[in-house]
Amino acid sequence: MHEASIALSLLEKVIEECINNGCSIIKSVKIEIGRASGVMPDALSFVFNAIKADTIASSASLYINEKMLTAMCNKCHKEFSTEENYIFECPHCNSNSFNILSGKELNIIELEVE
Amino acid sequence: MKLKVVSKILDANERIAQENRKIFDDKKIFVINLMSSPGAGKTSLLEQTIKGLKDFAKIGVIEGDITGTDDAIRIDALNVPVVQINTGGGCHLDASMIQETLMELPIDDINLLFIENVGNLVCPAEFYLGEDIKAMVLSITEGHDKPLKYPMMFQQSKAVVINKIDLAPYLDVDMEKIRRDILSLNPTVAKFEISCKTGQGINQWTEWIKTNCLCRKH
Ligand SMILES: Nc1nc2c(ncn2[C@@H]2O[C@H](COP(=O)(O)OP(=O)(O)O)[C@@H](O)[C@H]2O)c(=O)[nH]1
Ligand SMILES: [Mg+2]
Ligand SMILES: [Zn+2]
Repeated sequence: MHEASIALSLLEKVIEECINNGCSIIKSVKIEIGRASGVMPDALSFVFNAIKADTIASSASLYINEKMLTAMCNKCHKEFSTEENYIFECPHCNSNSFNILSGKELNIIELEVE
Repeated sequence: MKLKVVSKILDANERIAQENRKIFDDKKIFVINLMSSPGAGKTSLLEQTIKGLKDFAKIGVIEGDITGTDDAIRIDALNVPVVQINTGGGCHLDASMIQETLMELPIDDINLLFIENVGNLVCPAEFYLGEDIKAMVLSITEGHDKPLKYPMMFQQSKAVVINKIDLAPYLDVDMEKIRRDILSLNPTVAKFEISCKTGQGINQWTEWIKTNCLCRKH
């Protein structure tokens, strides 16, 4: 379960950010996770909440913003999205050429600290 | 106080991976990160590849496993420098493990480095190690539904090796579906159908490495 090491990276990162900003308590952490990032939000939350004890993030709530997989077709220039974690082709014109706009995120967005 | 942060969760790994990348580039080492589920045939493929490329490349190998040294012993038998990493339960290698290991390899005497990742179809894709390319091995005994179940691995790989085709007559596996789904996920991927047991198709794979990997850093 790689959510374990991702949760650990997340915890280390937010503690570092908090301290760098001269604060000592993390109250909340807001992150975004793309559908196609390969990370399961529930598993990540579970591990984060288990390992935050005894750190300055011990009472931090984790808010996860899930991002759908969306893309822009290079042929018909329409935007489209999917519930799946992959895209084969544009649903409008069946072109295989498209740019992923979102869905791969694994980002920290905002911290609330004191 | 609210802090807008906007940074990647895996920042730390990414940074170390870039350092690895710089070492590989300075030393002109082409690095292939080999991924698959457990038992698909990564070590078998490495054995065949080493036999086929021994006269053309100075090969080195990093073996990643949860525990044990069986794979490193198999590679060592072919007289190629090899270092074993045991992740102790960890389901993938990360960039810092690779960095620590590099000191134990004769990197001035290597121009093609294979990293055999821990057998797993999900996690290795998340953790960049500093490699030039990812390649994955899919054995047909795993079933034809795997590309769509694990799209990320297939999308990130420059090459996909479909292994154990000697077993095709005994399985109800839809080869056409495997080919089609792989190409749909990754239209530019280099695809090989091989048997590490009979040696079928190995030649195409080693030739591809010669033209796409060995020439790249000289
Ligand atoms: N029949 C058949 N067996 C294979 C082939 N390649 C590997 N194997 C067997 O599959 C098992 C796992 O192979 P190994 O290389 O250790 O897989 P790894 O875990 O991905 O490194 C071993 O028993 C190999 O002998 C193949 O092409 N055909
Ligand atoms: Mg192996
Ligand atoms: Zn379109």
